[in-house]
Amino acid sequence: MPAAAEISECLIRENISRAVADVFKTMMGRSAILSVAHAAERGEAPGTSVDQVIGTVGFIGDLNGLVYLYLDEGFANQCTGQILGLNAFELAAAGAEVVNDAIGELTNMVVGSFKNALCDAGYPCKLTIPSILRARNFCIQSTRRAEHRSYRFTCGSHRLVADIIIKSGD
Amino acid sequence: MRKKILTVDDSKTVRIIVRKAFKAFDCDIFEAGNGVEGLAVAAKELPDLILLDITMPVMDGVETLTKLKSDPHLKGIPVMMLTAEGGKDHVLKIAKIGVRDYIVKPFKEDTLIDKANRIIELKPLADGPGRARSILDPAEILVVDDKPAIVQQIREGLKHTPWKINGVSSQLDAAEFCSRQVPDLVIASLALPEDGAYAFLRVIRTNLKTKYTPMFALVVKTETEAQHRAQEAGFNFVVTKPIDVADLESRMAKAMNLDMSGRYYTVDDDLLVLRLPENCTQAGITEAAQHLQAKLAETVDAGYNQAILDIGAIKALDVGVIKLLMQAMEACRELAMHFALVANAQLIAECKGYEDTRGWTFYETLEDAKANLGKRAAKAAPVLAGT
Repeated sequence: MPAAAEISECLIRENISRAVADVFKTMMGRSAILSVAHAAERGEAPGTSVDQVIGTVGFIGDLNGLVYLYLDEGFANQCTGQILGLNAFELAAAGAEVVNDAIGELTNMVVGSFKNALCDAGYPCKLTIPSILRARNFCIQSTRRAEHRSYRFTCGSHRLVADIIIKSGD
Repeated sequence: MRKKILTVDDSKTVRIIVRKAFKAFDCDIFEAGNGVEGLAVAAKELPDLILLDITMPVMDGVETLTKLKSDPHLKGIPVMMLTAEGGKDHVLKIAKIGVRDYIVKPFKEDTLIDKANRIIELKPLADGPGRARSILDPAEILVVDDKPAIVQQIREGLKHTPWKINGVSSQLDAAEFCSRQVPDLVIASLALPEDGAYAFLRVIRTNLKTKYTPMFALVVKTETEAQHRAQEAGFNFVVTKPIDVADLESRMAKAMNLDMSGRYYTVDDDLLVLRLPENCTQAGITEAAQHLQAKLAETVDAGYNQAILDIGAIKALDVGVIKLLMQAMEACRELAMHFALVANAQLIAECKGYEDTRGWTFYETLEDAKANLGKRAAKAAPVLAGT
């Protein structure tokens, strides 16, 4: 079996691109298109200076990794409303907890689709439970042994970022 | 009997989506946030179907499934996995423990309903118990016609109803509309290109959510062959152009199985008011007459004994209206109810011209009629001797 370093960037890009597009299309009927893909640089903040909701789900097995999905707070609220069929007033009444849960589940679906494609490519692994961060100018840094890549998507006038850290299992 | 569905998922979002997906069906949804809770609810409720996630805290889906299948009381409950874990090897391993189906997230609500329906037969909610829908309740009407003037004519003609008329111009737009929400009734033009109305009828009848939705065809009055073909194809009714909107409204209400009595009868300040609307047709008068006995009986049963018969909104007196009023007055007398009549000056004058109606006393406003009934009730009340 190839090690993480041997997993082509192409495989990661294709899988995350398909996963994000599929989840946004199925759950919200929206198109999310990959616009920029690059190796993440140390200290670079993929988010913007506005408040962000960041979903995180990991995968463990023959490959270990973490995927961070960055959405501006306004976009996160909009996605939650669409997924749950809530209008702006109902969403405001429901509170941030509902948005956190919806973005956690959205991230879970994206990472699930991404990870399932890796499983089918010969890297069996399992998902971890989602978690949520709320922050501005948030950036993650990886250890030297891990691959760290960043993928930016456009969804209408909105932007979302999938940050991926990946390394082979011990 | 209502079906019971248990959703076991640590995500409240998924549980809300599941609840939303099954909202239109006659079933109760039970929720659990992990395997331990799921087993407890399953033992208590014995659901007809369990939707089970895999990655959950406390007890994951694989352990939950193993425990379910080893419990003699629970092992017969069909389980459908609903999870983001979808690698081929993983699915095969879980399938061996015993699941009826497997849905990998993300999923469409229609897929969930379709697969659930293959395991337990789902019935649309309208077939189940519950309050009958009334003519005064909102309804979503979908009109599929590439001629905006027709959509506008229907919208204008039905603007006095609480129904929302949604116009789309093609079969594809109509299908897209139905994927977002289930219409209460569909009207489709037979003039849509490439037999679009027939193709859409097939879509409607094969989708579990819409298979019982009434669908009307719309066609020019002279095209009798097309009308015949539409009836054969299974349209619930054929509306002919030019459209008689009053008749269409009545047909729509019947097709949606609405309680029509609210159009004619209201309870106002503890008394029953029978009011004929301005555009009341002969069919409307018949409809009002059909509900008369039941409405008066309900009023008496509720402890009230007054009624107002109000024809003030209609434009002309005819035999049907006179018969209805006579029938209503007779029924009130039988039930010992006080009643008063309301009409406009023109109708009052017309009544003076007929032998049967000459002696009737009318009030020109509802308020005057109510005040008179109040006085009569006060007179009729027993006078208690002072102590």
